[in-house]
Amino acid sequence: MIFPFTAVVGQEEMKTGLIINVIDPSIGGLLIMGEKGTAKSTAVRALAELLPEMVTVKGCPFNCDPDGILCGGCKDTLKNEEHLHRERKKMRVVELPLGVTEDRLVGTLDIEHALRKGEKRFEPGILAEANRNFLYVDEVNLLEDHIVDLLLDSAAMGVNTVEREGVSFTHPAKFILVGTMNPEEGDLRPQLLDRFGLSVHVVSIGDKDKRMEILRRKAAFDADPAVFAVGWSAEQKSLAEKIIAAQRGLNDVQLSDEVLENIVSITAALNLDGHRADIVMMKAARALAAFRQSEVITGSDIREAAYLSLPHRMKRLPFEAIGGENEKLQAALAEMTP
Amino acid sequence: MNFQNFIGHDDAKLALILNALDSRCGGVLFVGEKGSGKSTLARLFKNILPPATPFVNLPLHATEEALLGGVEMEETIKNGRKILRSGLLQRACDGVVYIDDVNLLSPEILALIVKAQSSRNYFIGNGNHSRRPLQNFMLLASMNPEEGYLSSHFLDRFGMCVFWEGIRERMQKMAIMKTAMSSDQRQNDDQDLRERICGARMMLEKIIVPVEIRNTIAQKCIENAVCGHRGDIFLFYAARAYAALCNAAEVTAEHVDKVLPLVLLHRRRIYKQMEEDRANDQHRHDKPADSKNSPEQNREKGKDSATDYEDENDNAGSGDSGQRRQQFRESRSAEEIFNVGDVFNIRRLAFRKDRMNRTSSGRRTKTGSLGKQGRQIKSIMRPNSDIAIDATIRAAAPFQIVRGRSEMLLIGDNDLRFKQREKKMGHLAVLVVDGSGSMGAKKRMVETKGAVQSLLLDCYQKRDKVSLIVFRKDAACVVLPPTASVEAASRRLQEIPVGGKTPLTAGLLETYKLVKNVLLKSPQTRFLVVLVTDGRANQSFSGAPVREEIAKMAGLLGELPVTDFVVIDTEDKKSFLKADLACEISGLLGADYYRINDLQAVHLTEIIRNKKAAYT
Repeated sequence: MIFPFTAVVGQEEMKTGLIINVIDPSIGGLLIMGEKGTAKSTAVRALAELLPEMVTVKGCPFNCDPDGILCGGCKDTLKNEEHLHRERKKMRVVELPLGVTEDRLVGTLDIEHALRKGEKRFEPGILAEANRNFLYVDEVNLLEDHIVDLLLDSAAMGVNTVEREGVSFTHPAKFILVGTMNPEEGDLRPQLLDRFGLSVHVVSIGDKDKRMEILRRKAAFDADPAVFAVGWSAEQKSLAEKIIAAQRGLNDVQLSDEVLENIVSITAALNLDGHRADIVMMKAARALAAFRQSEVITGSDIREAAYLSLPHRMKRLPFEAIGGENEKLQAALAEMTP
Repeated sequence: MNFQNFIGHDDAKLALILNALDSRCGGVLFVGEKGSGKSTLARLFKNILPPATPFVNLPLHATEEALLGGVEMEETIKNGRKILRSGLLQRACDGVVYIDDVNLLSPEILALIVKAQSSRNYFIGNGNHSRRPLQNFMLLASMNPEEGYLSSHFLDRFGMCVFWEGIRERMQKMAIMKTAMSSDQRQNDDQDLRERICGARMMLEKIIVPVEIRNTIAQKCIENAVCGHRGDIFLFYAARAYAALCNAAEVTAEHVDKVLPLVLLHRRRIYKQMEEDRANDQHRHDKPADSKNSPEQNREKGKDSATDYEDENDNAGSGDSGQRRQQFRESRSAEEIFNVGDVFNIRRLAFRKDRMNRTSSGRRTKTGSLGKQGRQIKSIMRPNSDIAIDATIRAAAPFQIVRGRSEMLLIGDNDLRFKQREKKMGHLAVLVVDGSGSMGAKKRMVETKGAVQSLLLDCYQKRDKVSLIVFRKDAACVVLPPTASVEAASRRLQEIPVGGKTPLTAGLLETYKLVKNVLLKSPQTRFLVVLVTDGRANQSFSGAPVREEIAKMAGLLGELPVTDFVVIDTEDKKSFLKADLACEISGLLGADYYRINDLQAVHLTEIIRNKKAAYT
């Protein structure tokens, strides 16, 4: 039994960050910076649980969408049998362990099959499993460098290309990347920070009443998860419906020149590298509007999107003094035409 | 999105078009900041190539085997004789190999690619497998210079290099967003452009290259002090391709000028560049009128004399470093804190690979790897605990029929292959910085801090851990215990005050203690001790003569295992009073000795950034 998403107290920024990534997965994931024990992994698992089942090709190790992009295997099946068997699956949270090897991440030769049959077969790795799911990387800053490079490479491209041990293979790897890090234990390179769509800072809740509420809910959940879940089922259902409606309404949101101009002037004022900042901010603002079930992006959508998508991109040099990001951001936002 | 409506970066697009037109143009390297669309454009290159041209993506994790091919396991088992599988480079035959973040690719793999390109006609497959010719392929790559550099040797392989800056212009930025957001995914496949290129390709051989143009090309290469002759050749092909694109019957000087920056910018000789820079600097310095006795200058003069003779009777006790650090902070008001000077790229500080196997990470020096981390460099026959199953199966494959396999593979002892892994490791860089009064003179500390900051940047790129020790007044203190956060080091650096005598011995002793301490906890660490000083040691530690003390300490330090020393001399060598003591100390330590100016490495990619304006 998983703790209901809607019952998580506080941490609104993180929850929003996760939800808009589900609404538009092309936003490119979420980096959660902050302390231990702030409901990070709980929230991710809970959100996956809340979402409706997705349709996949039966037996496909990559969870191909029968109506979307297919892997090589599914394409062959479609050609030979002219249709694909479908099944419904829950979205999962695939975890990336810290000591993961390259082989395990990208996939490799299926050794057992090779020994038994003398035949070559691809053994899918974690990236395959993660396709169309969440990929949760705890302490992403402690991962080995070359592993992070690989991870972000396929995250950016949505494809995993394997060239090793006599295996050449390509398969779709589109996932919602959720990374966590404690900045005090070491940094992530700016180039890698930039690859995360959004970032949020989480801190323990200081408010006493809220802390007590957390305790109360946790105790109730532990005592009888089923009963607790029933109590939250109405809210869960309504949030799930809202998310699905937002996914459908995403393309109806208007991207007016005025909105684009606002975004560009903010990023120009902050002198950010590259275009990811603009594009991610635009997508985030659009998802936020869709989540409000509106077709118009407002100033507050842009503001919220800026706070989610810009702070981790504002550090341009590897060790420019940190801090002061929020002030700079506020100054840039103040310039915005309402 | 398609090639033609990719916004901006016309030089990059031109480079790609010329290469699509004539593969002899030698490939393209994009150098630029993150998220500026380098990879996006590179992938669109496919659109303008003739249909069915191979376009192979070389992932960062590619192994040697994947690159060059080897025994095809399945077929070999079935047939009982070796059947070869082509590697990635062979699949790219007459096509394109695309490498994202080429500067992050391991040097072994880079070397293989270079070798394959230069010896393309007789290149031999992996190890003792039979030979097969490797055909021509074009390299297309991108890199972000923030993440480290590419050797000039490899840089030279690229026919063209485009330095790439993010677009800052508002209207263009908006247009880029619109393109990125357009849900319209229909593949307008650049057919018209492809046909135009195809037409121009037909004309290529008919284009006349007049003698005077050949002259111009040679002349331009000489003028630009290009290394080697690749520049001339690539410039020739590029100019001809451009003429073909323009539908011209012969190559003109304008054609050459147009493609010149693409071909030559990354090939200029470094010393030529430095000369020019020096000339420019001179020019800049001459310009502003010398406003004598400006308040600024006066203030500085006052400071100079103050710091030079500053002698405080501060009784720094023998307390722990935390306590001392406290004192450091408290007494700061009486002293000076200098800004951090210009930051530059550090020349390569390389160290020998030692014989220890480790479980560590980083990018500075190669090390054997313990456990199963690290990249597999090859499979070997010498046994260890890490069996390379794929190589073992391939070794056994040809014999399966002879051995009478029915279901399971039959593998004998002789077939076993093992993985040899290698990693790069970071060092613990202990920066020992002189904070004495003499360092404050003539703003030497500004320069020094710049140098130390540059070292830190280098440490960051190599993933070193860092620690910072400062010696001044009567004591040395660890202002930053070993940490992976180069950022913290950078912050501490800014806070370092200057003033007091030079207790160099104390600095060395503190270093010794620190190294010993770390060795207790993690005996695998490799150390890099960087001593930054002007060498004017004048504070004895034990009462013995300063020089004697230093010699003893140096002897002690020299006995430390796996420690490399670098001495950076900050003494003003133009000064009448120069003593070259730092040089002496470096001799005692067996250290590499540099002056600040020697430390600077001039990278070609950096030059491109600086010099782009000169051409456009």
